[in-house]
Amino acid sequence: MRWQLYKKDPRFIFLSLIFLAVLLPWLPLGASSNYILRILTTAVLYMILALGLNIVPGFTGLLDLGYVGFYGIGAYTSGLLSIHYDLSLWVILPLAALNGALWGTLLGAPTLRLTGDYFAIVTFGFSELVVLLLRNELWLTRGPMGLPGIPPPSIFGHPLTHDWEFFYLILLLLMIVLLVVTRLQDSRLGRAWFAIREDEIAAQCCGVNLIRYKVTAFAISASIGAMGGAFYAKWFKFIHPDMFKFWESILILCLIVFGGMGSIAGTMLGALILIPLSEVLRAVLPQGLFNARYLIYGLVLVLMMRWRPEGLVPFERAQAKKAKLARERLEI
Amino acid sequence: MESLLDQSSLFLQQLVNGITLGGVYALIAVGYTMVYGVIQLINFAHGEIYMLGAFLAYTMVTVLGIPFFAAFILTILICACFGIILDFVAYRPLRNAPRLAALITAIGMSIFLQNLALMIWGSQIKSYPRDMFPAIFLKPALSIGEVSMTWMQVFMLSITVLFMVILHLIIHKTKIGTAMRAVSQDKTTSALMGIGVNRVISFTFAIGSAMGGMAGVLVGLYYNAIFPTMGYIAGIKAFAAAVLGGIGSVPGAMLGGGVLGIAEVMGAGYISSEYRDGISYAVMIAVILFKPSGLIGRQIGEKV
Amino acid sequence: MKRLCCFLFAWILLTGVVWADSIKIPIAAPFTGPLASFGEGMKNGALLKGEEINAAGGINGKKVEIVLEDELCDPKEAATVATKLANDPKVSVVVGHLCSSSTLAALPVYRGAKLPAISPASTNVSIGRMSPYYFRNVYRDDFQGLFLAKYVKTVKGYKKVAIFYEVNDYSMGLMLAFMKEAKKLGINVMGTEAYTADTTDFKPQLTKFKMMKPDAIFIPGYAPQGTLIISQARSLGMKNVAFFGADGLDDDLMVKNPDTEGLFVTTPFLPDKAGPQAAGFVKAYRKKFGKDPNWFAANTYDAVGIGAQAIKAVGQNREKIRDYLASIDSKDKAYDGVAGKTYFDKNGDCLKEAFVKKIKNGKWVSAEKQLQ
Repeated sequence: MRWQLYKKDPRFIFLSLIFLAVLLPWLPLGASSNYILRILTTAVLYMILALGLNIVPGFTGLLDLGYVGFYGIGAYTSGLLSIHYDLSLWVILPLAALNGALWGTLLGAPTLRLTGDYFAIVTFGFSELVVLLLRNELWLTRGPMGLPGIPPPSIFGHPLTHDWEFFYLILLLLMIVLLVVTRLQDSRLGRAWFAIREDEIAAQCCGVNLIRYKVTAFAISASIGAMGGAFYAKWFKFIHPDMFKFWESILILCLIVFGGMGSIAGTMLGALILIPLSEVLRAVLPQGLFNARYLIYGLVLVLMMRWRPEGLVPFERAQAKKAKLARERLEI
Repeated sequence: MESLLDQSSLFLQQLVNGITLGGVYALIAVGYTMVYGVIQLINFAHGEIYMLGAFLAYTMVTVLGIPFFAAFILTILICACFGIILDFVAYRPLRNAPRLAALITAIGMSIFLQNLALMIWGSQIKSYPRDMFPAIFLKPALSIGEVSMTWMQVFMLSITVLFMVILHLIIHKTKIGTAMRAVSQDKTTSALMGIGVNRVISFTFAIGSAMGGMAGVLVGLYYNAIFPTMGYIAGIKAFAAAVLGGIGSVPGAMLGGGVLGIAEVMGAGYISSEYRDGISYAVMIAVILFKPSGLIGRQIGEKV
Repeated sequence: MKRLCCFLFAWILLTGVVWADSIKIPIAAPFTGPLASFGEGMKNGALLKGEEINAAGGINGKKVEIVLEDELCDPKEAATVATKLANDPKVSVVVGHLCSSSTLAALPVYRGAKLPAISPASTNVSIGRMSPYYFRNVYRDDFQGLFLAKYVKTVKGYKKVAIFYEVNDYSMGLMLAFMKEAKKLGINVMGTEAYTADTTDFKPQLTKFKMMKPDAIFIPGYAPQGTLIISQARSLGMKNVAFFGADGLDDDLMVKNPDTEGLFVTTPFLPDKAGPQAAGFVKAYRKKFGKDPNWFAANTYDAVGIGAQAIKAVGQNREKIRDYLASIDSKDKAYDGVAGKTYFDKNGDCLKEAFVKKIKNGKWVSAEKQLQ
């Protein structure tokens, strides 16, 4: 997948996508327009989640299997704060993100000195423990009864009810997350992460404080996941511990592996393709086969690692990209 | 006085339950521990081999009408071949790739196999029909007061111990075992010494998967419940057992399985049955954090 | 860019298919997944009713099309399916969902789209008051738990009961209702233990129960685990303990296990206790599917009937259908179905009779003593 246009200027394709997205609710799609909007809202939500997860395996090179735990923490933070205190969305989102970052730091600080595999398995254990807590602490989360009746977010006193309103809201969130992630990628922090990913020991020799940078990556990733969860709770208006099972982590991991680990554009593309694909599969596949759609996700992970470990849109460093662009311009 | 008797028989019965469960974990844990010991990879798909073992034996017995013990042996052989194929198809091409790639492949294989089983056998819990069940297994082997143990439990435990001893002997007394230990220390040097590294790794996968398949059959029979997701939780707990005992060590897997099984059962019995799975995860996390080398494992340092 | 356009185009094609002129009645339930056997009853009941309506000339001359929407009993899937249905103008009433957690996830969607829905199987207490668009023709968990406690006390005379519940909304709702009533009636609830759906080892908890020596153990869970629990209890040597459960155990899976002899459960539907039109239903069901209908089938059969009656009376206007359903609020206006008379209270809940059946000689039979 080599797009000439994209290579010339990624901003072009990005802007046209945004334009299309903003226009989307008003396209004459007939009766199914709300359905399509809902699927796209899901896709954009997963873009945000994938961008968040990408920071850990993509930028820092550590496998995080417990991402869904932060997603769940964010969702419950948002759900509980809305039900009990009826806070505004603009208070809830940062609070949820902070809570995610807090748990990310608490989990990351002791575990990030472990080697890759042990770290992966500890994060897995963490996410299972989060689900167990959500399930069993009835006084807080109502456990398996779920948390129904979460009030919808309101903006300037106007409660959001339509699908297109939620779609715009999630687009806005995507812009914010995207801005943060792209700025981080090219910052000092980002460079340290890439150094750790390429060679931990070399990075350490160059004076990169491994633990500090890894924990920062983990905390930022967790807070983005929690923010996604906060939106999810406000959008679904009902949350249940079953929504935050290990499968979600795998799905999100699959998105970034498919799109291109470490690559921001690739991560987003992965979500934009795979999430609606599962809806297309629902329409196309017979029910028994649709049930096993994770089979395809599993296969995607295996095949991508075997044949194209860099994903659809390979990761490119900004500096290298700029240099390449400059070279191309010179040639013209 | 009576309540004291009750309390002690409760404890003994729970101990029996815990040891049986621990035996199950130990059997699965061996597969993890051997593969990890040799190529430092968490073979996430190992739990799925355990699940496939259960399904294969079930299908052979109920659909093809093969006698149980023949099906048992066949399943073990098929699972061993399956382990080799798994290594050949999924892991061997990534031998020199970053570890992250191999880990993601392992997870992908695990999910793929689990959903394959879901497609083939459906998600309903399968049980052996009662008349195809070897009847002796249900009879109590010993029964002291309120404490009872069935022949099935005795059979499972003795098979576990037997195979652990055999494995230990293979690893420490045979040529291939020596080769395995050499490969686990340094692949390149072993290759230079004339060891067929890939052959040794295949052998490791075969043994580990055979154990996994065997565990699947036994557990499927013991609980009489076979379903596609059975490998996922059991696999993770078995991995926890392997880590607890010290990854790379067969007696460690045995010990870890036993300790984890007893901890889980006692936790469910005396602390809280709601957090039963959480106890295993918490033990696992604690061990990884505070004693990553496990109870009797050797320290594995990061190689430069 | 081009690819993206193609993609969008594909969606539109896939989602905007034009259907022939008919009335769609969607059935949202798990048809695959661990609870598929419950969904199967719903599917069969609905298909049978749809066939009968069409044989009688359809609704106001239009054919009924029963559409099956699989949601795997997964709240997330349920919400997506609900959105799909809510945006389909051919859908004016939904029959579903089965699991209470799915119903709760789909509920805000239906409420937003002002689409009335009838659940034939979700017994969670909180559903009714959350939305004026949700109705159900099944009793609530609290009624069922209360009923069981009364039955256990008056008919069976058990004094000491232990409860082995699954960590889910259905099971815990039942447990709480049972315990509340048991306290009033003087039944000693000796202990409660939990299990999760993905465990197969119940021995540690059962061993605890064994030492308590209860008269009976209440399993307010589902059949796949229920059958394992009873077997494991027997293998631990618990020979004299009785087991009972609620409608979640009312499944053919239980009778395949010889250890379950004597188990009794509550159910909203008993073929031989129901009214005369139930006999015809049971006969037709047996003929079409080769087995006896369970309560899911009977309740779904009725739910489709209620929906069809509403469409017949007021047309395919969602708002009007809701008002019509809400107007069925007293015994004399009740819908007379195969599983008893259905009428809704102000929350859209209904009060129906419960029955008891038990396993005798490897078959489900009605218990000799019912509680009316």
